[in-house]
Amino acid sequence: MMPHLFTLPNCLALSLLLVLIGAFGVFRRHSLIMILLSVEVMLNGANLSLVAFNYFRWGTSETSHYLYMLAIGVAAVEAAVGLSMIIVLFKNYNDITRDRVARLGERAA
Amino acid sequence: MPVSPLVEFTFALSAVVILISSLAVVLIKNPVRATLMLILSFLPTSLLYLLLQASFVAVLQILVYAGAIMMLFTFVIMMINPSPNEGDAPMAGNESAWSGLRGALVGLVVIGAAGILIIPLVYHAAGDVAVQPVSKPGFGGLDSIARLLFEDPANNPLTVSFELISFLILVGVIAALNFSRRKGAEALREESIRNRPTEALPVVPSRETAAPGAVLDRK
Repeated sequence: MMPHLFTLPNCLALSLLLVLIGAFGVFRRHSLIMILLSVEVMLNGANLSLVAFNYFRWGTSETSHYLYMLAIGVAAVEAAVGLSMIIVLFKNYNDITRDRVARLGERAA
Repeated sequence: MPVSPLVEFTFALSAVVILISSLAVVLIKNPVRATLMLILSFLPTSLLYLLLQASFVAVLQILVYAGAIMMLFTFVIMMINPSPNEGDAPMAGNESAWSGLRGALVGLVVIGAAGILIIPLVYHAAGDVAVQPVSKPGFGGLDSIARLLFEDPANNPLTVSFELISFLILVGVIAALNFSRRKGAEALREESIRNRPTEALPVVPSRETAAPGAVLDRK
């Protein structure tokens, strides 16, 4: 008898690992596009935990599926606005690494 | 709850593929390959949603997420066209390279410690909750979700909030248009100076242009 793999704790651990991988990417990457991609990985983990909770705990209603739809709507808007910001930054600085761009509004010395 | 070995195997396989391809997203230098790896990680995620009886969510994951949002990323990456290694290269100088490596190490240690601390907590807390199995017929299907969202729309709060997503997307469209029209502050100022209607400006007498001996009455 093999141990049960398809359980709620395993799904939650998988989604936690995805969120941690995404957070590591946010810390590690220097390119702004790569940071946005890491945020997408984190969102993917959060969505997975939503759907897993709905399957294992609330089998009478699909409310978390609706929350998933909300989340991908927010993700689409965030990607559109973030990518247009990246394009503007690339036009102005010719560079999208965060070390060059992040100055909190002060001029470069 | 009896689960067939095929389901267990599919879960394990898709979990491994998701983890490996998500790690590849974080570690690969080339942005186009990283985006393709993210799309690759969405496919087993969709399979996992099918196992969780969320068939409509699985379709959305492929159609909207992998098909639309990731294509947006790919378009922008190809438009900007960063060279494969430059996108993540630390700034010139050995010191910066070392600081980048140190940042990666600190991030790895902090996040690894968080994971090691939290994962036993997850197993402890979620291990002994009572599983309430799916009892609704047609759970997760399009028909069922449509009834959840749009049945009795006058009194259904989900209908209102679902329609409000369209306003959110409208705000995003306006913001993106505004960003794409805005130029840099320098270019904007130069252009406004260049396009100023000079003949409409009143001639202010200055020390150079005023007649000798005239009194300059500037406020």
